[in-house]
Amino acid sequence: MTADHWGFVVAAYGLAAVVLGAYWRRLRRRDRELTTLIESKTARATQPKRQR
Amino acid sequence: MSRALGWLAALALGAGLVMGFGVAPREVIQGNVQRIMYLHVPTVLVAYLAFAVVFLASIAYLWRRDLAADRLAHASAEVGVLFTGLTIAAGAIWGKPTWGTWWTWDARLTSVAILFVMYLGYLLLRGMIEDRDRAARYSAVLGIIAALDVPLVHFSVYWWRTLHQPPSLLKPGPATMPQSIVAALVVNIAAFALLYAYFVAKRVTLLRREEEARA
Repeated sequence: MTADHWGFVVAAYGLAAVVLGAYWRRLRRRDRELTTLIESKTARATQPKRQR
Repeated sequence: MSRALGWLAALALGAGLVMGFGVAPREVIQGNVQRIMYLHVPTVLVAYLAFAVVFLASIAYLWRRDLAADRLAHASAEVGVLFTGLTIAAGAIWGKPTWGTWWTWDARLTSVAILFVMYLGYLLLRGMIEDRDRAARYSAVLGIIAALDVPLVHFSVYWWRTLHQPPSLLKPGPATMPQSIVAALVVNIAAFALLYAYFVAKRVTLLRREEEARA
């Protein structure tokens, strides 16, 4: 009977899970960063100008 | 919309795992290591899809100068590189117990490595050029040229003597595999296609917001 090499199967699927998960997390982090950036930019733009 | 697509992709990936490990039988010659196919084949087919989208979106950009088409090409190339990298890694892990080597310079493996490097170059080119329109124009040209490697990758197993086996699905004539294996493969292809659509939708939105933030 052929050896099953389960270790290789786990390695392939584990690697895929880690890589895809890391990319998904990267997209979410960038989303949060942009939200903060756009909010602070909008807040600055709507702030009344300081009197000279 | 994007959130629903994400959940749908997650559910489909779960169904793909059930099909690949629970429904599809143990392959007689290779044993259970053959189950890597349910990862390796869908990722490469979705990478083909991603680069076809880059090709079409690049033509659309050059024709109409539509920035939405450029953002789609950018996002699809990034996700395509991700899936091609996974294809190469899964193939190497599958190759070691079945061929006795992680890597060999046969036509299929070499052409897919060239594809990976070309689209990495595409992403680097985009990052190197500061002018928005020039980056879009140059990368559209590269996106069109690089896509020509996709048929070369697919047909390499017919055109040259390779260690890599011929295609299991995209070939003339009926499938030579048992129905349960074909079904598991189809479910996994659909799952990875949904994941691709989710990632691209999310990345396109981020690219648009990055432009808004820079403006």
